[in-house]
Amino acid sequence: MAGHELIAAQVDILASRLPAQAVEELADGLQETYEAHLAVVNDPDTAARMAIAEFGDAEMITTAFCRESPWRRTAVALLATGPIMGAVWGVSLVCAQAWTWPIPLAVRITSGVVLVATALTLLAAATEKRTYRRTLAATLVGAIALITLDAVMLTAATMAPSLALWPLMPALSASLIRIIATLRALLSPALSRSGGGSR
Amino acid sequence: MRAEALKGHLDGLLLATLEGGPQHGYAIKEALRESTEGHIDLPTGTVYPALHRLERAGLISGSWSVVGGRRRRTYELTAEGRKALSDERDSWQEFAGAVTAALGTRPWPATS
Repeated sequence: MAGHELIAAQVDILASRLPAQAVEELADGLQETYEAHLAVVNDPDTAARMAIAEFGDAEMITTAFCRESPWRRTAVALLATGPIMGAVWGVSLVCAQAWTWPIPLAVRITSGVVLVATALTLLAAATEKRTYRRTLAATLVGAIALITLDAVMLTAATMAPSLALWPLMPALSASLIRIIATLRALLSPALSRSGGGSR
Repeated sequence: MRAEALKGHLDGLLLATLEGGPQHGYAIKEALRESTEGHIDLPTGTVYPALHRLERAGLISGSWSVVGGRRRRTYELTAEGRKALSDERDSWQEFAGAVTAALGTRPWPATS
């Protein structure tokens, strides 16, 4: 059965916001809805409008996909654990008397700026409602930045004096756990997609 | 029915809809509407992300086929999904019984 231009336009909007396989599935559902209405009202324009009303507009569907996105969940989890990680690192650095370490001021400022930018990027991923791809991109950027920061801290700690290392152990362990958990969260949706999933 | 009343129960409803056999997104939404006599009539497009979440959780599995020249994704319950559905039913019956008793329509727990 032939489609309708309104249905095609709706699919085009969805295609600009959602992953290709999800769009393919939605297009089939939208066409199915359109055909069901067409069989009843026998008027293509009315059937197309009724189908879109029943299916939900692109805004509503995109919001639903962003809300259920595994990428958004990763961003929310990283944001939620951020204050705990900050507290663990804060206590550990105070115990290790980190202010006495010979770290250049520029490095300290850069680390702080990167940390704030990472938090803002993850916040953007968690609150994005209009474009699924933006949720994905912001989560990837934020998560990779966080992994890099954790890795830098782990590397820097190995260069610290041995006496300063013990107070840092809780924070270093926490960072190591976060690196593993974040990598796992990032790889899980990618692996499910390569296995035939629609994300 | 108000959307917020469905919170926490949508997964169970979708799993129950798939209990009879594999179905695609639109058919799942229609089956849900018919089984609830029109009380639960979700915007079709919002059913898909919930199905994807259930698939990621391993409760349903999806597969592609070609129908009428279009690619279609069909979902079916996994063994884990059947167990989750059974748990959901038990927990709903307990919850519904308690609320019904609290609203004063019948005693709970039932003592026949």
